[in-house]
Amino acid sequence: MLKIQRNPNVMWREESDALADAQVGLDRGDDIEEVGTAVLFSGGAMLSINLLGTEIWKLCDGRNMDGIVKELFEQFDVQEEVLRADVQAFLEDLLKKGFITHEE
Amino acid sequence: MKNEIMLEAPITINWAINNSCNFACRHCYSRNDTHDELARDVLFSCIEKVAKAGVLSINFGGGEPLLHPYLLDIASFASGLGLRVSMNSNGWLIDAPMAATLKAAGFTKIGISIDSHLPETHDSFRGMPGSHARAVAALGHISAVGIATSISTVICRINNASVKDLVSFALDNRAGQINFHNFKCSGLGLSNKDELDLSPEEWKVFYRSALAAKEREKGIDVSLDDPIIALLGARDTSSMVKGSVCGKLSLNIKSNGDITPCGFIPVVIGNISTDDLRQVWRESTVLDRMRNKKPTGKCSGCSKYEDCLGGCTARALALTGDMNNPDPHCWGTEGSESESQ
Repeated sequence: MLKIQRNPNVMWREESDALADAQVGLDRGDDIEEVGTAVLFSGGAMLSINLLGTEIWKLCDGRNMDGIVKELFEQFDVQEEVLRADVQAFLEDLLKKGFITHEE
Repeated sequence: MKNEIMLEAPITINWAINNSCNFACRHCYSRNDTHDELARDVLFSCIEKVAKAGVLSINFGGGEPLLHPYLLDIASFASGLGLRVSMNSNGWLIDAPMAATLKAAGFTKIGISIDSHLPETHDSFRGMPGSHARAVAALGHISAVGIATSISTVICRINNASVKDLVSFALDNRAGQINFHNFKCSGLGLSNKDELDLSPEEWKVFYRSALAAKEREKGIDVSLDDPIIALLGARDTSSMVKGSVCGKLSLNIKSNGDITPCGFIPVVIGNISTDDLRQVWRESTVLDRMRNKKPTGKCSGCSKYEDCLGGCTARALALTGDMNNPDPHCWGTEGSESESQ
């Protein structure tokens, strides 16, 4: 299975206040999908990503898709197939924009 | 998983580390600016402060930054702290050994100012015979050591009709990017405005041509930093911000440490040696006004206002005294609909 790596040219930062807000919202059971918690920059392209996106992004360290899903499944209260579909869609978007690379 | 976000700190600092220069450019924004410079130890602590605030990159400028006595030490220190370090230079001092030194200091990208594909035009505009040849040579030296290259071209009367030639020139010299900077009316740019600036209709023609080149040329990044291109339907869907990025993604620091929203807005909102960067970023009333501009005049009712937000804030402020006024380069008329490319 392909190893997934963050493109080293991407600059990124977690936003601590937004992250804390998202965590509080998550604990309260709020919908935090629209709360941006990290920003990615590559060339002229920019992306603001939510808590799940941020956790996926941080796990793009050479693991494969199964490894990322397994790690997140332990963190988030969600059905595995739903999580896998979300992760796959997000990673496809990152790959298309050049934020991540695939390695054999 | 894309989301709106209010950043806690700038992403980029444009740092005019010095104002000394070996050129005499007719559009220079900083020629008459302060020549006070921060002491070496203060500079180091300021770089550390910027890194701790969460800034991701510093782009050094000036003046000519390579004339600063500690640029290499400062850049090396910044890159060691994890900051992405880049620079804008006229290229005069970059030979092969200097390029290797810059690589070792951690520079990842260097923009070389070249205002014309024609050597005599560039040399005359920059006030330095032979500067075009040295700039072109610098591009080669930088590229050879693996630093990303960019050509910075300030669009004005000498080059507005040369888009195709400028892009071909950049391709021939294997630059990764050509940056068409919109003309700012600051410093000598303001003094020489009547001679150098274009009319709104001429800007429209230029941007049509530049956007066509951006669409056509796949071997190079043709970069346009002017929010008014929204009038031609050129919306950057990858950008998190609308209008000017100044004060939303970036800030400017002057050679004496003064913080301004951008290099072309002479409004001091703090000083990096004495103030907390995150606090300035969060609490500056000037930045707040820039982030929450209100449409006035022909901007009211313009169908593209939500994308361009009145265009370049620096230009509106410099020429009208009110950052909310329409960008003087805007070719739109009262109640007009904008057009697609």
